[in-house]
Amino acid sequence: MAFSVMLTELTQGFLITISIFALTLLFSMPLGFIVAFGRMSKNRVICGITQFYISVMRGTPLMLQLMVVFFFPGYVLHIPTGNGWRFPAIILGFTINYAAYFAEIYRSGIEAIPKGQYEAAKLLGYSKSQTFMKIVLPQVFKIILPAVTNEVITLVKDTSLAYTLSVIEMFSVAKQVAAAQTTMIPFAVAALFYYVFNLLVSFVMNRLEKKMGYY
Amino acid sequence: MKKKLLCFMATLALGALLLSGCGSKNDDNTFVVGFDAEYPPYGYMDDNGEYTGFDLELAEAVCELEGWTLVKQPIVWDNKDNELNSGSIDCIWNGFTIDGREDDYAWSVPYVDNSQVIVVSKESGITSFDDLSGKIVGVQAASAALSVLEDEEQQKALADTFGKLQEFADYNTAFAELQIGSIDAIAMDIGVAKYQIESRGDDAFIILDEHLNSEKYGIGFALDNTQLRDTINEDLQKLKEDGTFDALAEKYGLSDMTCLE
Repeated sequence: MAFSVMLTELTQGFLITISIFALTLLFSMPLGFIVAFGRMSKNRVICGITQFYISVMRGTPLMLQLMVVFFFPGYVLHIPTGNGWRFPAIILGFTINYAAYFAEIYRSGIEAIPKGQYEAAKLLGYSKSQTFMKIVLPQVFKIILPAVTNEVITLVKDTSLAYTLSVIEMFSVAKQVAAAQTTMIPFAVAALFYYVFNLLVSFVMNRLEKKMGYY
Repeated sequence: MKKKLLCFMATLALGALLLSGCGSKNDDNTFVVGFDAEYPPYGYMDDNGEYTGFDLELAEAVCELEGWTLVKQPIVWDNKDNELNSGSIDCIWNGFTIDGREDDYAWSVPYVDNSQVIVVSKESGITSFDDLSGKIVGVQAASAALSVLEDEEQQKALADTFGKLQEFADYNTAFAELQIGSIDAIAMDIGVAKYQIESRGDDAFIILDEHLNSEKYGIGFALDNTQLRDTINEDLQKLKEDGTFDALAEKYGLSDMTCLE
């Protein structure tokens, strides 16, 4: 196999890697907010359920969760899922896992805002939702950004777990090329792809942090 | 605006995928073959980045006869039963050993006669099974070679003399370890062993003359899917008669191993 062909194959795999990455962020970041609010809810039932959810998501391996999402409908519920379930299962598995982590990051940010600010806002005549949207949230974004960056970078590397469900992302391609060509070079190239992409992610997040350094 | 567009596209993509996931079973016109894409010469990625191999080309020929569209679905070998039972694939067609699994699948006629062998590096000085005593032997997880070595009636006694039986996910890693000397031998199928040794292009490895056992390859279907199995059996016969089967066997260097009558 020519080196250019290997690069093309890895690039195609990389597109799948990026789709997993982007779709997971797209769904898990908003979902994380819902979970965070559930976790902070005064309603004991809601709080208990979300706490349990978070503990399961953080307490079991992501690889295992992906397999459960993929095989559960067919095995336990006897709903035949067919071959098309593979990619959605990956996105669903990643999303519910990352939402749990994001929820805790959001919570750390929200709870870091001193009580005095709520009281001051109340005196100034802000409603509860105004207080949250205009005063609390902008500060939360600033506080959680470094932790979110950590999580986003981890996600880039975690996408390689998609190989468990035979979604052919870059790491799977690297393994297959390596097997057919009996060489280890594809792994080195894949490592470079991951690294460069993460450099880009760090760069963007750094810019974002600087932009938010308005006070 | 851009954000909205991206959002919309992503939703659309996921929606389409979800819908396609709902269409129960793989329909009449597609034939989803599950294979290990790291198992040359039966199924692997060729120099142009396409999935190919003896088994996949054979599956392609069957699809041409039946007017089906072939879907080549690489699977993780450990998950093959789950994949088959959940209906994500229609069959396992990939140098799949019948022996020891007779009652677990609806089997096609056997089409390749394969042996399990031991590969060692030439420098190691290992020439017989006796020399393997105390050595570290690699084997693919959930593979036929492993079950032979674990079976009391077959080579369990031999395996007990090994220093350690080290399981690997794929043969490429196993060969890399053999090369750097962290394992001493690999137990595997003779067809795959020949491919590996040849494509590594040197005489660093040899196959021991003694064989662990002899066994046959077939296509595995879910137990209740005998209808599809029967169709494929008839097609294999047709391909044997019109010479396609033998031509493919020759192309992949398996001529002296086929056993389709």
